[in-house]
Formats: sequence, structure tokens, C-alpha cells
Amino acid sequence: MNPQFLIGPVSPLGSPAPFWFITFFKVLGFILHMIPMNIWYAGMVLVAIYATFGKNHSLELAHRLSRTMPVIVAVGVNLGIVPLLFTQVGYYQFYYPAGILMAHAWFSVIIILIFAYYGVYVYSLSVRKNKSTKFALASAWISSIAFIFIGFLFANNFSLMSNLNSWIHIFNKTNVGGAVLGTGLNTSDPTLIPRWLMMFGLAMTTTAVFIAFDAVFFKKRDTSEDYKRWAGKFALILYVIGLVWFAAFGSWYIFGAMDKSVIAEVTAHPLIYFLFGLTAVSPGFVLVTLFVQRKGLKKGGVILATVLQVVTLSLNAVSRQWVQNVEIFRYEDISKLPVNTQWSPMIVFLILFVIGLAVVGWMIAKIAAVEKQAANIS
Amino acid sequence: MHYPWWYVPNLTSPMLIALIATVHVFVSLYAVGGGIVLAGEVSYAYKVNNKSLLDYLKSHTLFFILLTVVFGAITGVGIWWTIGLASPLATESLIHIFVFGWAMEYVFFVLEIVSAFIFHYYWGRLDAGTHKTIGWIYAVAAYISLVLITGITAFQLDIGNWTPDKGMWVAFFNPQTFPQIIARSGASLLLASLYIYLHAAFKLKNDHQLRALVENRTSKWAMAGAALVTIGGAWWYFNIPPSAKAALAGASALNILSILVFAASAVVFFMLFFGPYRNPGWINPGFAILYFLLGIAATGTGEFIREGVRKPYIVYNYVTGNNVLVSEIPKLQSTGYLNGGTWTKAFMKAHYPQVFDTTGNIDDAKLLQLPEGDQVKVGQVLFQYHCNNCHSVGGFSGVAELTRGWSKDMIHTVVTHLAKAHFFMPPWCGTQAEAQMLTEYLASLSEPSPPGMRFGKAVNPALKQLADGTLREEGGK
Repeated sequence: MNPQFLIGPVSPLGSPAPFWFITFFKVLGFILHMIPMNIWYAGMVLVAIYATFGKNHSLELAHRLSRTMPVIVAVGVNLGIVPLLFTQVGYYQFYYPAGILMAHAWFSVIIILIFAYYGVYVYSLSVRKNKSTKFALASAWISSIAFIFIGFLFANNFSLMSNLNSWIHIFNKTNVGGAVLGTGLNTSDPTLIPRWLMMFGLAMTTTAVFIAFDAVFFKKRDTSEDYKRWAGKFALILYVIGLVWFAAFGSWYIFGAMDKSVIAEVTAHPLIYFLFGLTAVSPGFVLVTLFVQRKGLKKGGVILATVLQVVTLSLNAVSRQWVQNVEIFRYEDISKLPVNTQWSPMIVFLILFVIGLAVVGWMIAKIAAVEKQAANIS
Repeated sequence: MHYPWWYVPNLTSPMLIALIATVHVFVSLYAVGGGIVLAGEVSYAYKVNNKSLLDYLKSHTLFFILLTVVFGAITGVGIWWTIGLASPLATESLIHIFVFGWAMEYVFFVLEIVSAFIFHYYWGRLDAGTHKTIGWIYAVAAYISLVLITGITAFQLDIGNWTPDKGMWVAFFNPQTFPQIIARSGASLLLASLYIYLHAAFKLKNDHQLRALVENRTSKWAMAGAALVTIGGAWWYFNIPPSAKAALAGASALNILSILVFAASAVVFFMLFFGPYRNPGWINPGFAILYFLLGIAATGTGEFIREGVRKPYIVYNYVTGNNVLVSEIPKLQSTGYLNGGTWTKAFMKAHYPQVFDTTGNIDDAKLLQLPEGDQVKVGQVLFQYHCNNCHSVGGFSGVAELTRGWSKDMIHTVVTHLAKAHFFMPPWCGTQAEAQMLTEYLASLSEPSPPGMRFGKAVNPALKQLADGTLREEGGK
């Protein structure tokens, strides 16, 4: 079967915004989502490990991370809506079939996420109340495993979106009278495992930067200098581990699993080649920044590391988007689909977006003032 | 048919939407109404400087966050997840029409999350003025979210003057938007009050004075909510399209449920008036649970009715219940349902290449030449993509039961006249040959009439056959 037979028709309504606009907000949303998502993805594993085996500073790290984790998960889940929304607008012909072919697994994300999130709360509240129980500890472990499993399911869906040969394979294997059972997974795709594991490496690097940020900027009153020093060293070690992990699975993904036609596209375009190169080396700048601060974290240095890590994540998101577009454009150039721009709703959205940012900024300024005042008193 | 259909045995995949949406609405209405009530009550507590009331409201805010920010937010995303899986074409259409509506809602959702956390975690650390303002930021943001989402769901019931060449605003300001906003605003206040009663009944079990104060003050919000539900509900009823009104009148389940909603709302209103409003302190945990369950029952039933009367559409006059654009029906009826669907055609190409003509389309004559067993199998494909949105085989709304005792002729007549037989079903969207295939499949599933039924000495030959059990042998399997 020709895989192109499985691509549904174009919406007669036309795209409500130009393709570049949809892609921009999809990527922007993904970057914003990736920051907190990375922190809970690798962070909850650290929480579970150090809550179980940690002592002194490592136990303190588990407690500190778990205190902020409910907010991080809430913000991350919320920010995940943006890329999902724009994926559904721009990539609907690919997104819906991929999800439906693995519907049970995809649907289960919601149920697993509810348990994972409540697990985060159970452990976090136990830390806040200073009542560590076996149930709370088990919750932390369940949450960390659940988040990793959700990552696996996401890697499945988003790799399946651009692998139409797998569509045929799953459709033929799992249909009842032409309707799919929704029991498929994209396990026959060689990119699946490295894609999934690569993200965990990136998550470790982001979590490392967050640990440094947390030590310097959060909970100033009860942060000892000793912990700060330890956090600086630990962040560096974790960053190195994450980077090695990321490099190993990233290399597997690019050189061992990725379609040769995509690699050919990269080498054919100097700008993309440069983008990929920059994406590969960008974590190195963060590493140097953390290395310089290995004997003591400094505000300016941590801010620089944070900014550089956001740049790293952004480059990664842009590169991933570029790869996804190349993979999908093989079947259909969705950037050339009819556009019927909804100007006034778009303008109202952009105005509200700016107002929303201003209000969030105002609220954060208010709590920053409270924190500053508390630090001055202590 | 343009997307693969997700087959969920015995249940049908759209029932998963109902499941997620119903549990979500119980919490999301609380997220809106609770935000307004909390902001109002915190403002009052600061004004009268009632520290114990503030302490109680703080404890309620944690309960509120644990329920709304976690369960409410994730099930909200879950609705998106599920509609994309179970109603992909309708979702694709709604997203194209309302993408910026959802994007705006997202902005308010961000505000909700940020303000909710600050409101709770900085309780006692922010000055009263700032704390109150952040509470009201949450309340306003949550309410605007309700308005935006209600406009979209209202559009599904009545598109009003919208046509595909018109933009989002025409779609948003449809005849159903304002009645539903009023009804849902009321439901959110009412349900939030019932959550507060439930929480206070346990939390303030031993503090009778404070519990009485909380109950009395909350009852005012609740009664205002009940009044809005009544006004919005009545306005909704007088504004729904004739098909929805007919569905409400014609379906016994729906009109019984409608009466139940009004009855439950009336009971709750009187209980509120004579209970917490006139006699604060009456609400013990048992009473609070009863109140809460009544509220949940009324809300769930109301949402079920709102969804039920939309049939045969997912988006009124635009997308039918079986994920077909209304505009494509005439073409499908002439060139074939299997031929018109991406995945149905792909399936046929893989399994029955002999039915295709030289132009790559399915030839009806060749379809009818398939052996009987294959015709049944093709009928199953048609069933999955044309009927399984609403009907399972032997489970929920199962066709095996619905066609019990029917002859093939009866099945064929109903299949080819679907919309005439039941106005809340979409029309048959295939060719005559395809109708024949579907008939074969349904006849293979149809259960025989129950034995032992007697109607006296039947004069009508069909009734006589029914009575002696020979009708099915003649016309059925």
C-alpha cells in the first residue's frame, strides 16, 4: 500500500493562520513546555532516588525539588497545551491518525498523568509536613516511573506522526473490519528508542541547571553556604552525565536510526548544517559556565547558565521541528496548504497574550518583592 | 472515514469523551465558581478582619487547588486528547474555526494557574490588598475561560449564521452562547457552594459558629447560582434548534432526565433556603454529601442532555455524528462511502482490489459480485465507519438488540432511510450497493425476537409469524 493513500483530505476551512505563524507558536510553546517538563522528567527520578538513599545534602536536594515540583508540573502541563494546539492546526492530517493508531496508549497518558501528578503532591506534602512515610516514598517512585513512561508514549506518537510505513503496519495488524483497535505502538521505528532516551539526557542537563538556580535563588533563608557549594558541584556532575547521555543517544538517533534522506537534507543546506552544529555544541557553553562555578555558585553565573540552557533547549526545539517538517514534507508539503487567516481573532489573541504576560509579570514581581523582603529580614 | 476509526468494543470510542467530559465538568465548574466564591469570601474576611474565616478559606484553597489544578486541568487536556481520538474530523473542524479562541483561553488558563498558586502559597505573606487582587485575577481569568469554552460548545449545538467563509466571531456569538453562559455560570456557583459545604462539614465539624457563618454566606452564592441555572436553562430551551427540541420531546430518556434536572435543582434550591440560609449549622457531613451528590447528578444530567439533543450532529449542520462533513454527503451517496473515505478506501484496496475499476474507484457492480461472506465483511467496514460512533454491536446502543426480530427488508429500509426513520440519525451516506452490504452485516448480528410472546389469535400474517416464531426464519438470518 502506498502510504500516501492514508493521508486524509485538507480541511475545507483553510488554515486559520499562515504556516510560519503556526510553526512559530508550536515551537515557542514547546520550548516553554520543555523547561518545566525536563525538570520533572529527570527531577522526579532524582527525588525518588535521593528520598530513598540520600543523606544530608542529597536528601535536602530531594526535599527542595519536591517542594517546587507541584508548581513545575502544573506550569509544564499547562504550557504543553500550546504546542498541542498548534500541532492540531498545522499537522492534523498526521497527528490524528498517529494518535488513533495507538489510541489506548495515548488515552492512557491522561490517566497515568493524573496518578503521576497526585504522586508528586503526596510526596511534596509529606515533605512540607515533615512526615515522611513509605506511602509518600512509593508515590515519588511511581511518579518518576510514570513520567518516564509518558515520555515513551510521547516519543511513540510523535515518531509515528511522520512514519507512514508504520501506519500501514499497525493498521494491517490491529484492525477489526477496517477500524483500528488502537493497540499499536511505533516500536518497529528505529528512531523510537534513541529519541525517547535522548530527551532524558537533555532533561538531566536542564535539571542540573535548575538545581543550581534553586540553590541560589529559592529558599534563601534556609539555604546554607555548604549546600550551595555542594549544589554547584552536583549540578556540574549531573550536567556532565546528562550531556554524555544526550550525546550518546543523540548520535545513535542521528547516525544510527534517522532516515538517510533527512541527513542528506541537513548536509545540503549550509544554514541547517550550521543550526545542527550549533545545537550539538550549545550544551558545551552551559557546561563551561557550570565548571567555572564548581567551587561556588554565583548569581550572575547561574543566570548565565540558565539563559544558555534555555538557548540550548530552543535550538534543540528548532532542530527537532525542522526534522519533523522534512519527514512530513516527504508525504505532503503542508506549508503550502490553503490559508484563510483569521485576522481579528489573531490580533485579539496577541493583545491578550501580551496583557497576560504583563499580569503574570506583575504577580511574579509581587512575590519577588515578598521574597526579597523576607531575605532582608533574615 | 478520513481518519482511522477507533473501535472500542461494547462501548464505542465517543463514550470515552462522555466519560472524561463529565468528570471534568464536575471539577471545572467548581474551578470557576469556587474561584469567584473564594475571591468574594476572602475579600469579605479581610474587610471584617475575621481571622478564623481566613484560616478556613486557606485550608479550602488547598483542597481547591488539589482538585482543580491537578484533576481539573489534566481532565481538561484529556477532553482534547479524547475528542482527537474519537471524533477527529469534528475536532479538526473546531480547531480550525476556534484556534484563536482556544489560544485566548490558554492565556487565561496560564493566569489561573499562576494566580491560584500565588494565592495559596503566599497566603499571609502578601499584603491583604495584593492578596485580594490576585484572588480576583484568578476569578476573572477562570470566568473568561468558561465564557470562551462555552461559546465553542454552544456552537456545536447551533451554528447560527456561521458558514465556512465566516470567521470565528460569527461562530462564537451563536444563539446558544449566552443562554449556556448564564446556565453554566449558575451551575458553577451552585456546584462550588456544594463543594464548600462538603469541605466545611468535615473540616469545621467541631466549630459550629464558623461553620454556620460559612454555610450562611455560601448559601447566597448558591441560591444566586440556582436562579441563574433556571434562567439560563429556560433561555436555552427556548433557543435550541427545532431538531434539538424534537429530540428532547421524542426521546423518553431525555425528557425524563430533563424533569429530573429541574426536580433536583428545585430540591437543592429549597434545601438551600430552608437549610443553610435560614438555619445555618444544619449541614452535617451526611447532609453535605447528599447535597453534593444531588448537585453532581443535576450537573451530569444537564450535560448529558446538552450533548444528547445535538444528534445527529457533532457540529450542527456541519459535521454529522459519524464524522462526515454535511457538504460531502451528496457526493458520498453517489460515489460511495467506502470510496470517499481515506481509510475505508485504503482498506478496500488492500483486501478487495478486485472491486476497483480502471479509474481507481470502487465499482458498485463489482461490489455486489463479492461472495456473500465478503459482502458481510464489507458491511462490517461500513458499520464501523458509518454507525459505530453511536452504536456498538452488542453493548452500548447495540445494533444486535436494536434490530432484534427485524427482517432483512426492514433493516434495508431503515438503513436506506436512516434520517427519516429517526431524525436524530444522519442520513445514509453510501450507495445502494453499500446499503445492501451493511444490511447483510446487520442481519448477521440481529437477534431473534424473544420467544414465548403471544398476541392472541393474530389475523395479521406478520404478527402470526412473530407469534409462532417463524418470521425470522423467513426474512431474517
